[in-house]
Amino acid sequence: MRFNEKELVSLSRQPSEMAAELGMKGPKKGDVVKKRLVKLVVNFLFYFRTDEEEPIGALLLEQCRVEREDSQTFSIAFLDEAERKYLFECDSEEQCGEWVDSIIKASYEFMRKNLIFYRTEIHRLTGKDPLEQYGISDETRFQVSNGLQLMPRDTSSL
Amino acid sequence: MKLHEKILTHYLSCTSPVDKEGYLYKKKERNATYQRRWCVLKANLLFYQERPGDRHLLGVIVLERCAVRRAESDAQFAFSLVFGPGLKTYRFAAVDRQTQESWVKALLSASHCYLSLLVRDLGRQYEEAKQQKGSGESRSSISPLKPSTYSFLFTAQGPTTAAVVREGRSNSDSTVLQAPPKPTKVVAKKSPKLWHRRNAYVTPLNGPAPLYGEWPLVGFDPLEDFRKLHDYYGQEVKKAREEWLRSRQTEEERSDEDLIDLG
Repeated sequence: MRFNEKELVSLSRQPSEMAAELGMKGPKKGDVVKKRLVKLVVNFLFYFRTDEEEPIGALLLEQCRVEREDSQTFSIAFLDEAERKYLFECDSEEQCGEWVDSIIKASYEFMRKNLIFYRTEIHRLTGKDPLEQYGISDETRFQVSNGLQLMPRDTSSL
Repeated sequence: MKLHEKILTHYLSCTSPVDKEGYLYKKKERNATYQRRWCVLKANLLFYQERPGDRHLLGVIVLERCAVRRAESDAQFAFSLVFGPGLKTYRFAAVDRQTQESWVKALLSASHCYLSLLVRDLGRQYEEAKQQKGSGESRSSISPLKPSTYSFLFTAQGPTTAAVVREGRSNSDSTVLQAPPKPTKVVAKKSPKLWHRRNAYVTPLNGPAPLYGEWPLVGFDPLEDFRKLHDYYGQEVKKAREEWLRSRQTEEERSDEDLIDLG
């Protein structure tokens, strides 16, 4: 499948707050932990060999499950294959938590849901659709789909 | 660089809705001919294949840091995705003005960056609306945003970690939306061992990025200038609309001819 590689590499060079050297292990049996510069840009996780300008690879952070494996390690599983996980070893518990949080929030689908929630709530509270002023009320991507229940969930127990 | 394609194709075929799909003519770079492609826009990704339902995807375009331009000089109802100096320009053509405008509009709001700004903006409006409601104000609380009085709260508002983790644990679309709980002021913390600011940071491939005439927004602070960004992109959409309306009036006068020269 063709893709705009040069442009994606250029994207990987953009500044990011989440960029650090982590221990990274692939999902296959026999994969070992390797030191990689891991960098989060938009909804992509790029990973580089230290001191290299071009990333080795790019992982799209959609439809994936991010989990804490232990205090300093997190994992990402793709393709609904819960057992095939990428593992990332951090330097501290705090760093690990930041990465999990950031990766989850970076997902386009996650952001879209938040947007739809805000849109609905603002409309409920003010009677106005906040997307109208931007002329994007009719865009498919911002529509509330029928299957969604827009109820705030009490998260105080979390 | 390896792009893990299976992840992309899996995302394409998963339950979340497609943002737009349809036939477009895509210009082949080599011989400047247009080929009909079935295009599917989902999030910030534009996939293309020969026909709908084809298992084989021909390609994907990641829609970040590109401008969407109407390009009538190329072909009728044409538009392009311009990635900038040294990078590609993808050229497309639609079969009519309506399709062209619809795609341009959808692509303009497709990027992750755009959505990110929009979510922050709406998050702020939501907090304001809640406060207004709480203080018992009877009049409408959201006043129209005016550029001169537009201010942007810099606190990064969003769900706390716990709620976020739960949200993230679902592989497929969750059916219940959670309210982002009380916003916490997220201070941008640096991880203890931040990697040396060397290669992966902004190091242009071919020297410093030249001031590019078509990129008026380079160097602007997105957090403060979302309004500007919206206005800027909005100009294109407004223009497209006006021209479409005008062209509808002159449609009778147009002669029948092939819309696109396919060689």
